[in-house]
Amino acid sequence: MSDIYIICVEDEPQVLDVIVRDLAALEEVFPIELAHSADEARELIKEIKEDGHKIGLALCDHIMPGDNGIDLMIEMQKDSFTENTRKVLVTGQAGLEDTIQAVNKARLNRYIAKPWDPKDLLEIVKDELTQYVIREEKELLRFMAVLDQERIQEAIRTKGYV
Amino acid sequence: MPLKKRNRSEQTKKIAGLLLGIIGFLLPLLVNFPGLSFAGHLALGIFLMAAVFWMFETLPIYSTSMLVIFMQVTLLSQQGIIYSDTALPKTPVISHIDGIWEVPSKAVDGNRVYVAEDSRNYTPIEVNVLEWGETVKVSSDALTADTKIVSDIRHKLVGYKPVSFSNFFGTLASPIIILFLGGFMLASASVKYNLDKNLTNVLLKPFGEKPVFIVMGLMMVTAALSAFMSNTATTAMMMTVAIPIARQIDMKDKFRIMLTLSIPIAANIGGMATPIGTPPNAIVIANLSQQGINIAFGTWVALMLPLAIGLLLLAWATMRFFYPPTLERFKMELKSRFDRSTNAVILYFVFGITVLLWFTEASHGIPSAMIAFIPIVTLTITSVLTKDDIRALPWEVLWLVAGGISLGISMENTGLAMWLVSSISWELLPQLALLLVFGLVALMLSNFLSNTVTATLLVPLAVSLGTAGIAGEGFSLIITSLVIGSACNMAMLLPISTPPNAIAMSTGYIHTSDMVKVGAVIGIIGIASALVLATFYWPVIIN
Repeated sequence: MSDIYIICVEDEPQVLDVIVRDLAALEEVFPIELAHSADEARELIKEIKEDGHKIGLALCDHIMPGDNGIDLMIEMQKDSFTENTRKVLVTGQAGLEDTIQAVNKARLNRYIAKPWDPKDLLEIVKDELTQYVIREEKELLRFMAVLDQERIQEAIRTKGYV
Repeated sequence: MPLKKRNRSEQTKKIAGLLLGIIGFLLPLLVNFPGLSFAGHLALGIFLMAAVFWMFETLPIYSTSMLVIFMQVTLLSQQGIIYSDTALPKTPVISHIDGIWEVPSKAVDGNRVYVAEDSRNYTPIEVNVLEWGETVKVSSDALTADTKIVSDIRHKLVGYKPVSFSNFFGTLASPIIILFLGGFMLASASVKYNLDKNLTNVLLKPFGEKPVFIVMGLMMVTAALSAFMSNTATTAMMMTVAIPIARQIDMKDKFRIMLTLSIPIAANIGGMATPIGTPPNAIVIANLSQQGINIAFGTWVALMLPLAIGLLLLAWATMRFFYPPTLERFKMELKSRFDRSTNAVILYFVFGITVLLWFTEASHGIPSAMIAFIPIVTLTITSVLTKDDIRALPWEVLWLVAGGISLGISMENTGLAMWLVSSISWELLPQLALLLVFGLVALMLSNFLSNTVTATLLVPLAVSLGTAGIAGEGFSLIITSLVIGSACNMAMLLPISTPPNAIAMSTGYIHTSDMVKVGAVIGIIGIASALVLATFYWPVIIN
C-alpha cells in the first residue's frame, strides 16, 4: 500500500506554516510535503514517485522566484504520474489570463484566494481528496475518518465491496 | 513511517503462510496416517494448504478457492494425473483346502478382503482369518475359485472412487451459486436504480424521531435489506442515512456509538435470514443438498427469522443499556423519490415476483435456484442491467463459495472428513454439547476468518458425523449445519470479523472496545439462543 501525499509549493515560509497548520487534521492519513520553489517541487515529485507513493493533491502559489506555479501545474498535468493529482491554486496575484491558462491547460480544480478562511481551505482540500480517492483508490476505508464520509460510503455502496 | 512497518509485517505473514501452506500440502504425502485412504491423504494435503492460505490470506481468498478446484481436478479427478490411467491390482484367490483360501497378506484389511468387480470397483467382504503368514489363510462362503481380490489394500483406488473433473468445475454452476447470482443481479439493479435507498426512507418513516426508535428502525431496515443484498453494500448505504444523524450528536455523546454500531450489527444479523443473505448460508445449503436434503427458501426463512429478530432486539437492548441517548429527538430528512423510468419499473416488478415465488416454494414446488433465473434472464433481456453491470457483479464471491463446495466434495468422498471426526468419541457427547462445540468453534474461527471460509472448513465435518453414524443418539445433520451456519454469522467481535464491522470502525466514531463489548454479548447469547431453537423450534419446522 502506498501513501498519498499532499504537496504545497509556496515561496513564503510563513504561508507554508499556515497551510500546514490548517491541514493538520489530515496529516495522519495524508503526509504533507513542502517545496519553496517549482524546482524544489520537481525534486519532491521525483522522490515521491521513486518511493512508490502517490500525490493526491498539489497546493500551488503562482508568483514564485524561478518558474511560476501555473507553469508547474501545466507540467504536472502533462506527466502521467501527476495527471490525476488534484490541483489547487492558492494565490492573490494570478491575473485573468494566467487563471484561464491554469484552467484550460492544467485542468485546475480549485482556486483559493489569499487570504483564506482556514475552514474553507480544509473543506476544499477534503473535498478534492475525496474525489481523488474515490476515483483512484480501491481500498477506501482508511480515508473514511478524515474525508467526506457520506460520499465514501456511497462509493462503497455502488461498488458493493470494501 | 508506520505504513512501511505494516507492509513489512504483512509480507512476513504472507511468507509464513506460503511456507506453512506448502508444508501442509506435503505433510500427508510424506507421512502415512493409518485409517486414511491414499486419496484421503491427497485431500488432506489440499485441505491443509487451503486452510492455511485462507487463514493467513496468503492469496486472496477467492484465488485459494480457484487453486483448490485446480488441485482437485489435477490430483483427485478421474481424468487427472494420478487417476487417469490406473486400475485396481488384482489377484486370484488360491484354494488351500476345502473352503479355505490363501491370499496375500497385503490384501487383507483387518478381517476384510476386497473382491474386485472390474478395474475400478470392488466390494468388501468379511472373512474369517485362520492363519497369518506370508500368505493369509482365510475362509468365507463368498469366495470361489474364480474370485479375484484386490491385492494391495493401500492402493490409491481403495477407499476412493474418482469422480469426473466436471464435478469439481460444476460447483460453479451448482443451484446455490445460481441462486446467489440471481440475488446479486437483483441487488445490483436495486443499487443502480436506488431502490434500496428509497425503500429505506419509506420504511424508516414509521419509526419517528425518538433516538432509540430511530436506531431500532435503522436496525430493522438494515437487517431486512441485507437479507437480500450484500451486507457490505447495505452497511455503506445505511451509513449514508446514519451520518447526518450522527452529525447532530455531540462527539462525546455515547449515543453516537449506538448509532454507528447498530448498522453493521444489523447487517451481519440480517444476512442469516435468507439463503441468499450471506455466503455461509450457501455452504450450509450446498453441503446438505449433496446429502439429498433440500431446504426451500421459505423454510430457511422460517428457521432463521426468529433467531435474527431475537438477536436484533438483543443487540438493540444491549446498546441502549451501554450507550443511552441524551437528545430528545432528531431531525430526519426522509425523502423518497422512486425512479419511475421503464427500467426501474421492470426492476420493481421482477423483484416483487422473484421474492414472492421464493417464499411460496412450498405451494408451487419450483426450486429457488430455478426462480433465481427469472431476474437473471429478465433483467438482462430488458437491459435493466447492461454488460458493464454484469461485469461488475461480485464474481469472486461465487468462486469463493464454489471452491468451498468443491473442497467439501473431496472431504466427503475420499473419507477425509470422516477420518477427521472419527478420532473423537462423539457418541459420549450429549447432542446439546456437540452443538455447543460446533457453535463455539465456528464463532471463534469466524471472528478471525472469513465467515464463508469458516463454514467451508466446518460444515463438511458435521456432515460426515451424520453419514458416519458416529454422533450418537438424536443427531440431526440439518440442525448441526444450521448451528454452524448461524454461528458464522454471529461473529462480530472485531473490526476484522466482517466487512460491515470494518466500515463502521473506519468512521472513527467507535472504538474496538465498543465493538468487542456488544459483539461478545451477541456471540454468547446468540449461540445460546441458537441452541434453544435447535432443541425446541427447528425440529418442528424440519419435520
